[in-house]
Amino acid sequence: MPSQTSYGDNLIAPCRVLDLTDDKGVFCTKLLADYGADVVRVEPPSGDPGRSKGPFPNDEPGMESSAYYLFYNTNKRSITLNLETSLGRSIFKQLAETADVVVESLPVGYLKNLGLDYESLSGSNPGLVMASISPFGQTGPWKDLKSSDLIAMAASGYMQITGEPDQPPVRQGNEQSHFPGAQYAAVAIMAALYHRDMLSGEGQYIDVSQQEALITFYTDAHPALAWMQMEQNVTRVGTNSTLVIPLGAYPCQDGWISAGVITPREWDSLAQWIYEVTGNEEILNEKYKGGNQERAPHMDVITALFLEFSARFTADELFHQGQKRNLVFLPVNDVSDLLHDTQLDASHLWTELNHDQTGVLKYPLGIFDSEDFAPAQSAAPSLGQDNQSIYEGELGLTAQEMAGLRSARVI
Amino acid sequence: MAKRALEGIRIVELGPYVALPLTGRILASLGAEVIKVETNKVLDEMAFIPAWSKGAGQPDYQRHKKRITLDVRTDEGKDLLLRLLAVSDVFMTNFRRNILSRWGVDFPEVRAARPDIVIMWQTGLGGNGPYYTYKSFGILVQHMSGVSLMSGSPGSPPVAVNTSYSDYHTGVFQPTAIIAALMRRGMQGKTATMESSIFRSGAVTAGPAILDYQLNNRLPERRDNRDSSAAPHGVYRCQGDDRYCAISVEGDEQWAAFCHVLGNPAWTQELRFSTAFARLNNQDELDRMVGEWTIQLTSKKVMDTLQQAGVPASIVSQGQDLHDSEHLKARDFYRETNYYVAERGTHASQWDEGPSLSWSMPFNMSKTPVEFGNYSNIGEDNSYVFGDLLGLSPTEIARLSEREVIY
Repeated sequence: MPSQTSYGDNLIAPCRVLDLTDDKGVFCTKLLADYGADVVRVEPPSGDPGRSKGPFPNDEPGMESSAYYLFYNTNKRSITLNLETSLGRSIFKQLAETADVVVESLPVGYLKNLGLDYESLSGSNPGLVMASISPFGQTGPWKDLKSSDLIAMAASGYMQITGEPDQPPVRQGNEQSHFPGAQYAAVAIMAALYHRDMLSGEGQYIDVSQQEALITFYTDAHPALAWMQMEQNVTRVGTNSTLVIPLGAYPCQDGWISAGVITPREWDSLAQWIYEVTGNEEILNEKYKGGNQERAPHMDVITALFLEFSARFTADELFHQGQKRNLVFLPVNDVSDLLHDTQLDASHLWTELNHDQTGVLKYPLGIFDSEDFAPAQSAAPSLGQDNQSIYEGELGLTAQEMAGLRSARVI
Repeated sequence: MAKRALEGIRIVELGPYVALPLTGRILASLGAEVIKVETNKVLDEMAFIPAWSKGAGQPDYQRHKKRITLDVRTDEGKDLLLRLLAVSDVFMTNFRRNILSRWGVDFPEVRAARPDIVIMWQTGLGGNGPYYTYKSFGILVQHMSGVSLMSGSPGSPPVAVNTSYSDYHTGVFQPTAIIAALMRRGMQGKTATMESSIFRSGAVTAGPAILDYQLNNRLPERRDNRDSSAAPHGVYRCQGDDRYCAISVEGDEQWAAFCHVLGNPAWTQELRFSTAFARLNNQDELDRMVGEWTIQLTSKKVMDTLQQAGVPASIVSQGQDLHDSEHLKARDFYRETNYYVAERGTHASQWDEGPSLSWSMPFNMSKTPVEFGNYSNIGEDNSYVFGDLLGLSPTEIARLSEREVIY
């Protein structure tokens, strides 16, 4: 159980998390690490494949400089360990005896074959919380299917509603498919830790399905419900929406503006503004007034009137003037806009971290803004940087034993 | 029955839309008692969606909560909310501070009622800073957080998903911090007030591209469905209306398996497709050849034959596929639920009941139940909360209902 004084400025105590995740789970352990957990990334001696994934500074690949690895491994520690050797497995078992959490996203059944599944590890550590994040969950006919970011987007149907109506489905960029499962895993781990530390003393096993997590991340499109009630398949609507009408990303003088209307009052405000600018009385027609469903049949007319209006402004004018009229007008940003956004600065999103390969960079660690706690403040670890402190310091291995493990390619 | 993970925690949820209710539903499924405060006078617009069946979508967000009606804009309503907060562990809301202050339930008043309450304040763009009065929706935050310009092809308009996007990131971030703050309170005796924002949740996911811009002064490449190291990698048209199968072939082993499934036709043996590097350089031609194969088959057939050979492939699932999925049925993911047919201008107690379906949580836990629970109508739990919990007599509840305070 975490001690009473070990929290520092962090939201959670430095509980020990052994991190066996790949792309599917690395954001889960990052969340826990940024909150203050002592996350130890267990990498094969050749290094986590994430280290080989770009982008790299000046496009020069290096094991210690992948922006992908640096982003997803803030506030973690790193050890190397070859789980494919019996010695490696026995060392992992020893580490698991005192760990609070193990998180993995290996193929279903892989750890069981190595004797490192929850059943095997919890015997000597009943307080262990273990979470598996897999493409389709640990059970069911699809459990062993192969996946990837693209496949996850497809299998969940998230792609079915991304892109233009007359074009093929498009995946969202940035490997977005990995966030939902990783986030739910963090929720379940926190709940299991609460249950263990505040109520029962017992750990448990968590099974997270990436496919199901992604389905919940587009709940308001209600794909299965639309089939059940209407035998219709929801599909792509470009930048529009079937939920908020009108809504979209619209061309303006210098780029794009995104805008949307939900309430009857917002509609009245927008219609009045469009009328003031274009002088076209059609926009004030009674039949467009009310909620989204009243406007749904008239989208084409409304969109045409909106485009006539938006063409007369810059994005910045529309954003600020729209908001002053109590309307949801928002900029269409790229990554550089985020880095320069005054609101994100004021919200304490950014933490500057120094890393010897990259110098100081801004990282978006401030998911929550609070005077009561702060995100942890360490850059990602170098490969195996914590071997000595963990293997010698915690497991009591001698320097000689360490050398033996190294030459046997165990660490 | 096994003890629930968050047994004994009481949470008060005040606010509409997607992210906040989703947070409440997740915490309720883990065993917290989540009391949702609403009023018939100003209903959540989400109560009226989807457009084809108003209200049928609400169980996904509101299941397993205790739902009460209380007009917190009235003096008596405010007092009752503070009395409820005095016996609660968490207050979460997405109203602006100036509005909470006008009602007399801003954070100082809430802390006075319950000094160690954990407060989660969810904002759209951020509570402090230049946009603090500005409004937003999750669905548009995909444009504001940068992801729509990272998707699609170079030069194409922003690419959007037809959903509330970052509301879901926020909705699933919030439970982690709420549970963590409750543990911290239990262990250290310190409570927490924290603010989230939909904008910030989206920006967090911009990920490595944020570092790349700082390191190399460039924006992420828009790769559509393609990959920087694997090909073929995309969606391919199959038989049927709007049917596609996604295929991602990574490495030479999977390429060999892929070619074998196709019967090793001559084109697959050509030099221009012989290595991953060659395939990447000849992707347009490669995609055309793959598409000529897939169009002859159903997307399910393409998926099944490739997966049997160990090649990652999946149908682009449509609503019917998800609804009928044997896999999701085996995992008991979608379940039947009642719902109430929302009608504008009519008191919720008059709404008809009908059949709908809702997802269950996308995770299972081995020792504590992850509960589907029941679906209450707006105000259905008034007598439990006001009577059993706060000790109001039936006469008093009737009087306050008459005065449209409990309403």
